[in-house]
Amino acid sequence: MILTLARASLVRHRARTLLAMLGVAVSAAMLLDMVMLATGMRASFGSLLVAQGFQIRLAPKGTLPFDTDATIPDASDIIQQLMARRDVVAVSPVLGAQLHVEHGSASVSAAALGTIAAVQGDYKLLTGRAPTGDDEIAANDALLEAVGTKLGDTLRVAAGFDPQLRTFTGRRSLRVVGRVHFIYLSAGERALAIPLDALQSMEGPSRTNRVSLLMVRLRDSANVESARTGIEQSIHTVSAISTATAIEQVEARLSYFRQLAFILGSVSLAVGFLLVTTLVTVSVNERLGEIAVLRAIGVRRTSIVKQILIEGTAIMLVGAVVGLGLGLVTARYLNSILAAFPGLPEAISFFLFQPRDAWLSLGLLAVCGILAGIYPAWRGASRPIAHTLREEAVA
Amino acid sequence: MTAALLLRGALTFLFAAQSIDSLPPRHPPRSVAIDERLAQDYGIHVGDTIVIAPTPQGKGDTVIVDALVRRTRDPSEVARGAYRIRVHLDELQRLVGYGDRVERFAVGTRGTAGADSALTAIDDAAFGFHAYSSHEIAVESSTTFLVVSRFHRAIGVITIVASAIFLLCIMLLKVDERRRDVAALRLMGISRGTIVRSVVLESALIAVLGSIAGVALGAAVSAFVNWHYQRVYRTPLTFSLVTGQIVVIAVGLSVGLGIFAGLLAAQRLVRRPPLSLFGR
Repeated sequence: MILTLARASLVRHRARTLLAMLGVAVSAAMLLDMVMLATGMRASFGSLLVAQGFQIRLAPKGTLPFDTDATIPDASDIIQQLMARRDVVAVSPVLGAQLHVEHGSASVSAAALGTIAAVQGDYKLLTGRAPTGDDEIAANDALLEAVGTKLGDTLRVAAGFDPQLRTFTGRRSLRVVGRVHFIYLSAGERALAIPLDALQSMEGPSRTNRVSLLMVRLRDSANVESARTGIEQSIHTVSAISTATAIEQVEARLSYFRQLAFILGSVSLAVGFLLVTTLVTVSVNERLGEIAVLRAIGVRRTSIVKQILIEGTAIMLVGAVVGLGLGLVTARYLNSILAAFPGLPEAISFFLFQPRDAWLSLGLLAVCGILAGIYPAWRGASRPIAHTLREEAVA
Repeated sequence: MTAALLLRGALTFLFAAQSIDSLPPRHPPRSVAIDERLAQDYGIHVGDTIVIAPTPQGKGDTVIVDALVRRTRDPSEVARGAYRIRVHLDELQRLVGYGDRVERFAVGTRGTAGADSALTAIDDAAFGFHAYSSHEIAVESSTTFLVVSRFHRAIGVITIVASAIFLLCIMLLKVDERRRDVAALRLMGISRGTIVRSVVLESALIAVLGSIAGVALGAAVSAFVNWHYQRVYRTPLTFSLVTGQIVVIAVGLSVGLGIFAGLLAAQRLVRRPPLSLFGR
């Protein structure tokens, strides 16, 4: 009976009910988006960092990976030290540089990553093979398009310029042996992968035995935090950053979005709560006579309260389900805006949908719906029967 | 201070209190200016002697802190925690083994025409570098903030749409709540137009009062946001700004939406026969 009465009440004022559900849907969409924004960056960045199985990154002391032009000296000694540790399975050294690909009378600049193909974790091979020889490179589509080349072609590549002699320096002819996708680069960024020693040689004495970054893969059973601490204590020229630390530092830089998400999410919840409270209050005030009659014929106060709560919760839940769909659409739109951040890895998503987020939003809204209806429902059901009948039903 | 070269990350800062190998002190030690935050965090004062070195625990130079430098209102610096120190150019070049090299020149010209011809002349003569106008650099380095602005605008539009729906919903509910009063007025002979106008007037008044409260709340929240983020990021940057134009747009929108919502609700009510409003 309670469900029938609740349904009848909602259907009686269709326009009002639909509008309230729409209002809740918008509120739910905003809430879902903010929950996704608050958790998405962390989840997205975390999975990006461990995508290739490296749990620790070593950068020059006091810096974050590729945050500056600084490099780590004595790289080969450090790699030996790391491989001597029982908890280390693999070490991938990476040297970053800017190379210039000669293209007609001009040149095209590209980011170069000097890596060791057997242990690298910076790119995925699409076609061809990874570069292993001193005269080989693998390039991404952006670079290949920019210079109009394809697999098998040879490019003239230079490491720098000599303005006094007006020539390129560190020039080499390099053959494109592979087409790759760089995991950590932004969309459209031109880049190539080259064997580490070849890049060090091209860059000259200033880069001999130096790298920008070392990525460390630990055994499955290893404790990441103790390995990180041990490495940092034994190698004084590096800062060791675990995935957790890296996520925290990136989150600190992007904390503004998390705080915005919290504020807007709270406001959405509050507005949804207000909407349902207003609706339930107005609905109860209109039906005081009806409620008094029900109570006069013996329907218990708690049954009436339940009926009203079901109405409020039904509006919230239907609105929330519609809002979930709306939220996913707006999240996609908002994500496309933030994905345009310069230098942001293509794989990073600010709004990452996780089913847990949907359940959290739904749960919050359901609780809100119940709480929003409790006070007006109890107030309406607690009025003196005779007095209310005289004022409302009889008059 | 002379013009300084900042090689971020190429320089590591070490305290004089540590026992560190340093190069034989130059007589007299040269001066540096350090980041105000660095001074606060490590208890350094003007006049203190410190050692600056290019590598951790490496050889360095003994210098005197001559000044403290506050961060500028540069948005790109906000989230970066790195400290900065300003060093004499030749000293930094020598310390990091950079030789007679710099990362960039800043060139001052006489007027815009001078800037244009200087750009052309430099580009023609240069090999291996490129000249940019300050405007081009500003546009390029503002890309991040353009993205943030677009994001804010999108959130703003979504908020306005959501607010419009909420307002319409609540107006409908409140006006609907008074349908018996409206029915009584209609039966007394009050015209539809009069009723609509009174409801619209009421909703306009609520909208104006709500807008005034909203502007006051917005100004207060804006002040709080600036206070909070300036403290968190230790920057003089203004994060939130309430201007006259923003107030005019916000008030105009909210009053307009309020009047529209009231009009819609009133029209809906007066279209129904008075007796049906009584539930008969």
